[in-house]
Amino acid sequence: MSNLNRRQFLSASMLVASFGLAACGSSSSDDATSDAPEGTFTFKHGFDLDYPPYSYRTDDGEIGGFDVEMAQAVCEYYGWQYEPVPFNWDAKDGELNSGSCDCIWSGFTMNGREDDYLWSKPYSDNTQMIMVKKDSGIVTLADLAGKKVGVQTATSAYDLLYDEEGQAALRETFDGGEPVVFETYTIAFNDLQAGAIDAIAIDVTSGNFLMSGKDEYTFLDEALGSEQYAIGFRKDDTELCDQVNAALDALVADGTYDAIGQKYPDIYDYLCLGK
Amino acid sequence: MTFQTMLATMAVGMLRTFGVFVLTLLGSLPLGMVVALLKKSRFALVRALVGAYISIMRGTPLMLQLLVWYFGPYYLFGWSISGWRFPAIVLGFVLNYAAYFAEIYRGGIESIPVGQNEAAVVLGYSRTQTFMRIVLPQVVKRIMPSVTNEVITLVKDTSLAFTLAYQEVFSLAKQISASQTSFMPFLIAGVFYFVANYAVEFGMGLIEKVLDYYR
Repeated sequence: MSNLNRRQFLSASMLVASFGLAACGSSSSDDATSDAPEGTFTFKHGFDLDYPPYSYRTDDGEIGGFDVEMAQAVCEYYGWQYEPVPFNWDAKDGELNSGSCDCIWSGFTMNGREDDYLWSKPYSDNTQMIMVKKDSGIVTLADLAGKKVGVQTATSAYDLLYDEEGQAALRETFDGGEPVVFETYTIAFNDLQAGAIDAIAIDVTSGNFLMSGKDEYTFLDEALGSEQYAIGFRKDDTELCDQVNAALDALVADGTYDAIGQKYPDIYDYLCLGK
Repeated sequence: MTFQTMLATMAVGMLRTFGVFVLTLLGSLPLGMVVALLKKSRFALVRALVGAYISIMRGTPLMLQLLVWYFGPYYLFGWSISGWRFPAIVLGFVLNYAAYFAEIYRGGIESIPVGQNEAAVVLGYSRTQTFMRIVLPQVVKRIMPSVTNEVITLVKDTSLAFTLAYQEVFSLAKQISASQTSFMPFLIAGVFYFVANYAVEFGMGLIEKVLDYYR
């Protein structure tokens, strides 16, 4: 190949470059839809794709989940164009404030953040629990003393462990006085399976999802705390918030909310609208 | 999710990774040379400004820089940033990598003995001719191993585009891992990165061979 001349080299580089351009040309349109007729409102649904079963990649590799289907149902109700904005959870406030998305709707806990966003009515209850292996010998919260307890960063379970009125005192009994902080619960669960940690502080719906089909795990009977999920809007966006609330009422009344909920048995019992 | 679907979904993510990779190289390789030459400018002010640029680009996390490029226009000027996501990612990567490439180039340029410049002056070469015909060809040969290093790092750094919600291969690996409660997506991502970097190594090796015209 050392006799590759300059022209061949140039054309080879052009080929590589055009591949790259083609790759990025096709990229922006994958999850987004922007072929709305003129004047249609585009509802930009901001969510985390790491949060099954509320918002995640389905078995087909497409975006889906309870929150995604509900948001699509709201858009259908009003004839809005639905635009998914799967964002990085740590950058959610920038995405919302800058208008990259219109709401944060992704199993988003309202408790403790009441003043930070304009909230829809809560649509799902949730409880923070401790997940352990059944044979671990841990049966009460007090048994967690000196144990390694995993939690996902920037979640309500994490906040609860640092809340003086929440479970800060319990946290101080953990090994080292701190939880083991993971980027995702999936990785935390791997560590639990591998025996690297003893327990995970997690919300019950995500925990059910992780445990489904696996018999050797269980929740402790004592809950860490409870909370509710709602949709967070920009604080000055009352019109949109009111519209979404009205649509939620209508979707509860016509059975859509229940029908979508039944597709997600892990969370169905916790859905709280219309109850 | 079947293994095929997983592979297919992640292959699409790998294409996006590749898009950022190629555009970053196309932008930063030439820009780095401009920066390197400005760093050797006659004017102290230009040298200072370029020095500050390189310090900031190398001294702050790329993840932070990406956030600033994307959200900055909104937070600083209140501009709408719709459609700005992908350009911001490419801009962030190009400006960051140009700083690293500039220093690699400068090291290469300064490694050429001054005597060659003096000889070129005696032979009546202009400054531009000296640089283009005598210095640059030698620099390119010398810096190839360092450039290869940087290019390989870039392949892996593209995963930082996840910060701005770009659905590249590692973001997809995390998402699929979460929904399938499986470690497999990370292994697949690892294989994808390795194959890409093996190709980079092979390609750069070829270029080095072509440039090795005196052996």
